[in-house]
Amino acid sequence: MRNVRKDLERILLQVQKPSRYTGGELGSIVKDPEKVDVRFAFCFPDVYEVGMSHLGMKILYALTNARENYWCERVFAPDQDMEQLMRERGIPLYGLESLDTIGAFDFIGFTLQYEMSFTAVLNMLDLAGLEVRSKDRHNLWPVVVAGGPCACNPEPIADFIDLFILGEGEEVNLELMDLYLVCKKEGCSKQEFLRRAARIEGIYVPSLYEVRYHPDGTIAGVTPQEGAPAVVHKRIIRELDKVFYPENFVVPFTQAVHDRAMVEVLRGCIRGCRFCQAGFIYRPFREKQADTINRNAHTLCDNTGYDEVSLTSLSTSDYSKLEPLLNEMLTWTEPDAVNIALPSLRVDNFSKELIDRVAAVRKSSLTFAPEAGTQRMRDVINKNVTEEEVLRTCRTAFEGGFTNVKLYFMLGLPTETDEDVEGIIHLAQKVVDLFYHLPDKPKGKGVSVNVSVACFVPKPFTPFEFEPQDTMENLRRKQKILLETVRSRKINVKYHDSPTSFLEAVLARGDRRLCPMVEYAWRSGSKLDGWNDYFRMERWEDAAEVCGIDLAFYANRTRSYEEIMPWDHLDYGVSKAFLIRENEWAHQDATTPHCRDHCAGCGANRLLGGACFG
Amino acid sequence: MAELFQTTVRVFWKKEGRIKYISHLDINRCMARALKRSKLPVWHTLGFNPHIYTTFALPLALGYESECESVDFRLTEQVPMQEVVDRLNAVFPEGMTAYHAAPAVQKPEAICWADYQIIQEFDQVPAEQAAQAFFNWCARPELPVLKKTKKGERTVDVKPHFSVQEMKAQDHVLHLSVRAAAGASLNINPTLVLDTFAAETGIAADWQRVVRTAILDGAFHDFR
Ligand code: SF4
Repeated sequence: MRNVRKDLERILLQVQKPSRYTGGELGSIVKDPEKVDVRFAFCFPDVYEVGMSHLGMKILYALTNARENYWCERVFAPDQDMEQLMRERGIPLYGLESLDTIGAFDFIGFTLQYEMSFTAVLNMLDLAGLEVRSKDRHNLWPVVVAGGPCACNPEPIADFIDLFILGEGEEVNLELMDLYLVCKKEGCSKQEFLRRAARIEGIYVPSLYEVRYHPDGTIAGVTPQEGAPAVVHKRIIRELDKVFYPENFVVPFTQAVHDRAMVEVLRGCIRGCRFCQAGFIYRPFREKQADTINRNAHTLCDNTGYDEVSLTSLSTSDYSKLEPLLNEMLTWTEPDAVNIALPSLRVDNFSKELIDRVAAVRKSSLTFAPEAGTQRMRDVINKNVTEEEVLRTCRTAFEGGFTNVKLYFMLGLPTETDEDVEGIIHLAQKVVDLFYHLPDKPKGKGVSVNVSVACFVPKPFTPFEFEPQDTMENLRRKQKILLETVRSRKINVKYHDSPTSFLEAVLARGDRRLCPMVEYAWRSGSKLDGWNDYFRMERWEDAAEVCGIDLAFYANRTRSYEEIMPWDHLDYGVSKAFLIRENEWAHQDATTPHCRDHCAGCGANRLLGGACFG
Repeated sequence: MAELFQTTVRVFWKKEGRIKYISHLDINRCMARALKRSKLPVWHTLGFNPHIYTTFALPLALGYESECESVDFRLTEQVPMQEVVDRLNAVFPEGMTAYHAAPAVQKPEAICWADYQIIQEFDQVPAEQAAQAFFNWCARPELPVLKKTKKGERTVDVKPHFSVQEMKAQDHVLHLSVRAAAGASLNINPTLVLDTFAAETGIAADWQRVVRTAILDGAFHDFR
């Protein structure tokens, strides 16, 4: 293990924002390397500002470090200028706490938040001085592991990662490290450790599964080897209220994307929007007690000095005791001059007085996500929002002085017609008209309705996992329809790039035959693909051609209900029968009520060993 | 205004180690959060979004360490000065250490000079040679240096504003003690002079460490 402190001194003043590379932030945990048994490099495959905003990393960092003999450090992807200097000077990737190089750590763990970060994972392994392929790394350590939402279909990077951690990491991470420590002491081989690890619930060792294919390219079967389980079940925390929560965060010097205290109020989602992967893979729905959340928030603010705390979850307005919680929190946040932020708030459920006291509404613009322009299309995706609700929320906002509204939509949804596309603009127009017909609209100001349109990407473990993605040609055609439908200068349309979405669709539902393509794309320069400035579609097209991959096979093909998906041997709670049922309903324009209203029998309650509610 | 000035506390602190890469702007935010954590009765700005108000007498360049930084803020209640120091040290990040607190005496405009200790390492040339060259370069009747400011570039003759107090060469390491003009009206960073020397002569250090050791008023007394 080598310390790079002195090497860094020679380059840090030459790079943008050197504070991203120095560590030493408040709350960062430094231990004596002589006194720890396991060293864990927690790698976020994106730049510091993005990674430091991520709650899961903060939780697992604090959790691991709470064990005296384990030391978890943070590692982020260096930006281009820093990477170039590191490569020129032969400085390997290092942990921010110790400034020791991570190549000889016990664990290197990645969190996979989005598919476009896959090449950054390879690049970081390479910067650490390691072989990128699992089979070329023979030593027991470092064990290269990965978790996070994209681990639900990890096949496109199965060749590079030794094992994947499925589901919530609070318990299983420590079990894995405990097992490793035993194996290290016994002098086990890497192979033996992986065999034993595969017996821990939630651990998926891809090299222990053999995949066979039909001549048409679809999967014929997946066979476990050496005693690995046929199906790997994800892990969840059953009693969310009792789960470990950090009392302190690492407080960055430079501003992160989300730079504030965060407390988690619930996991899972009751809504069941059919396009939303997070809504399914984090099931079942579990809440924390209001007291616990309030205590977590107060402790964190005291220890970090943050003047803002956010209540985070997939849908915070579904928290059953939100109003009492806010009232309790306001008793200390107001005297301490701390703002409460509610990132995913439905404004209409609350009293005006309470809303005025929380920060979310102090912003000058309001965002709302109808996701689709017509009621039929919203029924298909099970987004249970009506036009009246959209307009009512906008009316409340306008009456409260807002003149800026941002509406989020998706393009290329299953069964979408040109009429549905035009419907997006028609809805935006109704919002504009609403503004001008209001008797008490804000005086002397115009309205601005910003329509933001993303391309739909079908994801595993959603009812749309069977669906083809619209071709790029068709998406471009639909983007043109959008622009041509606009009649008012008060409406601004912004859409996301379709090549990125296309590649995302390929990787999201890819199988392990994509591994060589991912490696090729990385070797030809892909590394921070999440950033438009660095992304080049040509590199991926070249890689696909060289590796003999038909990208459309993955992105634009309809899967039959019988087809074996690359992720079918992984279990995230929701059953395939449920996904098929939901898919059929979608094609009949039929909606499914949310979980609190009526259990749709998705199967996730098996993980709880009982019903989700009551 | 007089009253406001009297109630202002000035805390002196050190900035050492890797925290030298934290910019002045980021230190500003870090200090506000530290004050918040300390639970000292610090005055907040009024209005819609109340926040802690701090001022720094003399911002430190990125990459410099310091033994003599100061920060000012107002207390709304009496607190023993030693307690201010202790409570800040309990919540400061690695590399920041408070060592003295007192009611502010002088205004930042009183600052005229600052002293620096500089260590330079040369991989290629012996330090003796670098020292000799620098001595000769400084001995010229004028020392024109290009200074970049927000308003643009201008050439300043730093001869009256910069002096080498001590110079010691040993193997590949050069030690310098330097005094340079400091303050809002004219601030000369010693590395600006050393960088100009390096650009003109090709003798550039491969590694250097700069520590601000004192901030002085017009009478060469420590800024209080
Ligand atoms: S089991 Fe029923 S209530 Fe629980 S998450 Fe699934 S659909 Fe919702």
